[in-house]
Order: sequence, then structure tokens, then C-alpha cells
Amino acid sequence: MMAATLIKKELIMNVLTRGIRNAFRNVIRTFSLVVILGLSVGLSLAMLVAYQAVGKKIDSVKSSVGNTVSVSPAGVRGFEGGGNALTETQLMSVSKLAHVSSVTETLSDRLTTSNTNLVSAVEAGSLGQRNAGNSGQSFSFQGGGMPPGGAGDTIGNSNSTGTVTRTFTPPVTVVGTTNPSASAQGGTFTLKSGKTFASDSSDNVALLGTSLAAKNNLTVGSTFTAYGTTITVAGIFDSGSTFGNNQLIMPLKTVQTLSAQAGAITSATVNVDSITNVESVTTAAKKALGTAADVTNAAAQAETTIAPLENIQTISLYSLIGAVAAGAIIILLTMIMIVRERRREIGVLKAIGASNLKIMYQFMAEAITLTLLGSVVGIVIGVVAGNPITKLLVNNSTNSTTTQMGMRAGRSFERGAGRGFGGLQNSVTNIHGAVGWSIILYGLAAAIIIALVGSALASFFIAKIRPAEVMRAE
Amino acid sequence: MLQVTNLKRSFKSGDTTVTAVNDISFTVPNGQFASIVGRSGSGKSTLLSLLGALDKPTSGSISVDGKDITKLHDHALIAYRCEKIGFIFQGYNLVPNLTAVENVMLPMEFAGLAKAQRLERALSLLKQVGFSDDQMDRKPGKLSGGQQQRVAIARALANKPKLILADEPTGNLDSTTGKMIFDLLHDLARSENTTIIAVTHDLEIAGKTDTTFRLDDGKLAKGSQKGKA
Repeated sequence: MMAATLIKKELIMNVLTRGIRNAFRNVIRTFSLVVILGLSVGLSLAMLVAYQAVGKKIDSVKSSVGNTVSVSPAGVRGFEGGGNALTETQLMSVSKLAHVSSVTETLSDRLTTSNTNLVSAVEAGSLGQRNAGNSGQSFSFQGGGMPPGGAGDTIGNSNSTGTVTRTFTPPVTVVGTTNPSASAQGGTFTLKSGKTFASDSSDNVALLGTSLAAKNNLTVGSTFTAYGTTITVAGIFDSGSTFGNNQLIMPLKTVQTLSAQAGAITSATVNVDSITNVESVTTAAKKALGTAADVTNAAAQAETTIAPLENIQTISLYSLIGAVAAGAIIILLTMIMIVRERRREIGVLKAIGASNLKIMYQFMAEAITLTLLGSVVGIVIGVVAGNPITKLLVNNSTNSTTTQMGMRAGRSFERGAGRGFGGLQNSVTNIHGAVGWSIILYGLAAAIIIALVGSALASFFIAKIRPAEVMRAE
Repeated sequence: MLQVTNLKRSFKSGDTTVTAVNDISFTVPNGQFASIVGRSGSGKSTLLSLLGALDKPTSGSISVDGKDITKLHDHALIAYRCEKIGFIFQGYNLVPNLTAVENVMLPMEFAGLAKAQRLERALSLLKQVGFSDDQMDRKPGKLSGGQQQRVAIARALANKPKLILADEPTGNLDSTTGKMIFDLLHDLARSENTTIIAVTHDLEIAGKTDTTFRLDDGKLAKGSQKGKA
């Protein structure tokens, strides 16, 4: 019993060893085949690496963009443009849409020396002075509302003939919001001291940016005047940007009441439950709000960023399939060639008592040996070339769009949507492809499958060879 | 005992049918050395293929020790070729990347013998056909034609077959070597009690065999069988 299994094992071993030895019968052919297969396997691996690296990057870009939709009144960007504010009623219809998890509503306003004792922490500078020129001849002051174009009453104006001299003091921006931590301009919100307020609060409280608080010597619990009302400092925050730290964040209801803009909303950020639903929510919100609002999402912008990456992914996928197919065809044709070349030998083996199956195993062992040798060469090529190829692909096709997108992102004034876009742009090209163990295992598995497929057709020819062929005269 | 009855094999070549072996009947007792002679194209090789179960006849039967091999299934045919038949070819047909001893071991491997037994028998067979120890590990490319044919004979004898079929075994050899190979075959047929059927052109060799069959256009020529049958 023991001896029988030993013999059986030994017999299989012999078929295999013969197959492996046969792989080296023609050294030049084996060498060429291994090199060609190596190139094909190496290219496959490099493409697999590129495919995975780019795929990972696409995922991270998608998740970094976030799942938000921005809503602002039609025709308005920040304090530029014109049009009418949105109403809470209008946004109620948006918050009731499917897949909407929450809506942050804000009302932005500017405080000038006419209605606050706060002094801006930002100097006008040359950019600020531009506002002095274009501030509002065509506007007229309306009761405690927004002063024209943000120009304060330090505008030394007048209607007198002669030279008009204007000076400009940057206003303090006040943001009335239902979600204070998501409303600071600049990307981050860190509460330095104090506490925030509830989303539905209507108290006369405010969160101050660090520089604004410092400029006005305010700490938590201090008071200041705005809209002719005494406001208490509830907390001080750091937004990470100079502009943001000059901001004042107050409850939405308070700002609406104090600025006499009841129910008015100047911007809203809609949080969607999943990134895949951003597009459908955007469409639904556009439908719900009609021409009253501009509805945008960062996903559309991310799409432009991702598009070249997706092209690379497609290219690498096709190259991967192509390289694997080429490898399969090479081994297939080689095996057919080898079988045809050894017709007589196969005939002899059959004549002296070998079964078709044993001969097939022998040829499979030969094919697998050749393919594995090719894979080893290919893995070396893949390890060496994987990362450079990925970088080359990504750099070549994203360079043009990066500059384009950078400009667009810079212009974007929207809170939330435009946030972190510069960083996103930088990271798109920062892709690292590497050959990991899993990829090498995939490669080897693919090689063995290729070898088996390659020798399958050859086996068909083996089975068809009749032993009588040996008897033919040479 | 080998008994061939009304054996016929025809091939279709385009519209015409060629009958290579046409209604042949003969018997060869065990341990005899029979030769088949005839012009080329007379059907010698086809007859040999049929006897070795390499090819199937159109009609007729071949009975080896009372068993009709034309009725065997593929699997049984492999076993028949493996255990009952030894082949010797004109072109030796050794496996070029295996050594002499490995070539002789090959049929025993297919028959399922353990490695130690295979090696032992292969070495003794090679000694029997006149190989020295240092030649046994040579590959066919390093052996002369006569030596290669000796390896082929040793390989044919490996599984102690009932029947050895030789197709022009001396055809590629010079006359001296050819004669030596023939004598070797003759001796082995006697010592191992194996029936040998050899196709040959060489009438001198044919004349020394126990029986000679003359084939002419696929038919057995009259009076070709002589000797002790």
C-alpha cells in the first residue's frame, strides 16, 4: 500500500521533471520566450500597479471633496453681484429632499463703523482701497441695512464738485449661521475659548475670530455693540486664515432680527448622505429652487479633476488586459509550435505506452516552467517600472488640467464647496504606485492560468496525434 | 501466438480509396523471428502499425494469445502497447534530452514500475545490448547510430513484451553494424522467448529469419511463408 503510493507519487514526479527539463531543451528559444513573456508580465504588473494607485487616488479625491451641495441666491457670490436673498421657506423644501441629511443656513452681513464699535483687524491695503473707488454711487443707504459695497462712513465723500477723495476701512463680516463650526471661512474651525451656540439660538451672542478679538481687546464674556445692540462674546475661534479670523459668527436668527432681514438666507450648505447622491440632490435642489438660486456642488469640479485620472485608469486597464492577452497568446503559440515540432516524439511516447493525459501533464509542466521563469523576469520589471510608469502616466495627463483647475478653485468664493481645493489639486499628482506581495501573487496566479490556457489548446493537438505517425518514413 | 485473419486497411485519399493492407492472414508462433519484405509502398509499415495497435484495421482481426486486439478500447490499447509490445524504429526515435538509461526506463515508468526496479532493469538491459557503464548516461546525440539502436532495442525489451515490432531496424546502419544489431535481436528473441516481426529491405537478413512474408500491393505473395510455421 505504502509502496504503491510511493510509486504513484514517483511517477507523477517523473512526468513533471521531464516537463521541466523539456523547457530547457532549446536554450535560445527558452531565453527569448522568457524575455518576451517577462516583458508582457512586467507590463501587466506595471499596469495593475498604475490601475490600483490611480483608483485609490480617485477614491481619496472623491472623499476629500465631501458630500455637500452649495446653495446661494441667484447672481450672488459672497458680497459681489446682486439679486434677492433666499428664504427659510425655500430652503425648507431643500432640506426635505431625499438623501439630504442636514442643511446649514447662513446670512452674511457687513458691519461698518456706522453700526458697530468693532474695528477690523485687517488693514485696507491696496486691494481694500479698490473698493473705495467702486463703492456705491448708485446705492443709497437704507435704514440699518447693508451699507453700500461695504464702504464705511469714513468715506470722505461728497457730491461737491471737484476731486472726490475716498478712504476705505474694511468692514467686519458677520455670519449668521445654524452651524457655527461649519461657517468659518478658511477651512477649519477651532474653538480657542468659550463655547458655541445652539443652531436655533436667537441670543445676542457671538463667536469672534482670534485676530478680531485681539484687535478689539475682547475675551469671552466681554461685550461689544453691533446693530445698536449689546452682544456678548460667547467664544473665540481660529479658522486658520487671516480673513476667517476677522469674522464674527452669530446665530442665524439673531442676525436676521438685528439686521432686519427676517427669514433671509444668503448661502446654504446641503449635506448629502452619500457622495454618490450628490448629483441627484443637486438636480432636485435646482428643481425645487428654480431660478431663485445657484445650486452647485464640488463633485462637478472634482469630476474635472478626476477625469484625467479616470482616463489613466481606463488606459492602464486596457493595457493590462492587452499585456495579459499578449502573454497568453505568446505561450499558446509557443506550445503549439513545440507540440508540432515534437509530433514524432509524442507518437513514440504513445507507442511505448504513455497515455494522452501523461503527455499533457508533461507539456503543462513545461508551459508552467516557461511561464514562471517569464513571471520572475516580469516581476522584476514590474517592481522596477511600476512606480515610474504610474508617475509618468499621471503627470503627462494631469499637468494641463491642474493649472486650469487651480484658477477655477481660486475664484470660487463659496464656503464649503471651494474649501481645500488647492490641496486637492496638489495631491492629484502625488500618486505612489508600488508592487506589493498581493500584486506579485496575482501575477503568479495569472501566469499559471495563462500557462494552463496556453497548454490546453496544445493538449488538444497532443490528443490528435496518432501513434502511427512514428511509422512514417522520415 | 500471433494470428492475423483477413486483415484489411484502406485509406481515403481524395476520391480514391487506397487499400494498403488487403485481406492478409497469417500466424506466427511464440518465440519466432519473422520478417516482412516488399517494395516500398507495398503496405509493410501499415501492417506493422496494425500489429502494434498504433492503427485500427478497416476489417479483420489480430489475435495475440487468443485476444483480439482490434476490439480493445483506447485505454486497453495503451496497456496493450505498454505491456505486450516493444517497438523498434528505423530512426531509433529516442527522446533526445533523456540519457540512454532514462530512455530505457521510460516504458517501465508508464507500466508503473518503481524507480529502483526500473533503474536496475534498464542497466542490465543496456549491459545485455553491449553498453559499457560510462555510456549509459549519454544522451542520444552523443551516441552512434548503432548505439542508439541498441538503446532502442533495450527500450523495446523493457517491459518483457510478447511481441517486438521492428520497422527497418537496420535501415539507417552500415552493413556490419546492421548485422550486429540483427544478431542481437535474434539472440534476444531466443533468450527472452519473444516473437519478433521485422520489416526489412535487406534480403540477406530476411533470409536468416524463421519466417519471411513477402508483401506485394498490400497482399501476401504466394509461397512466402516458409519454415516451421
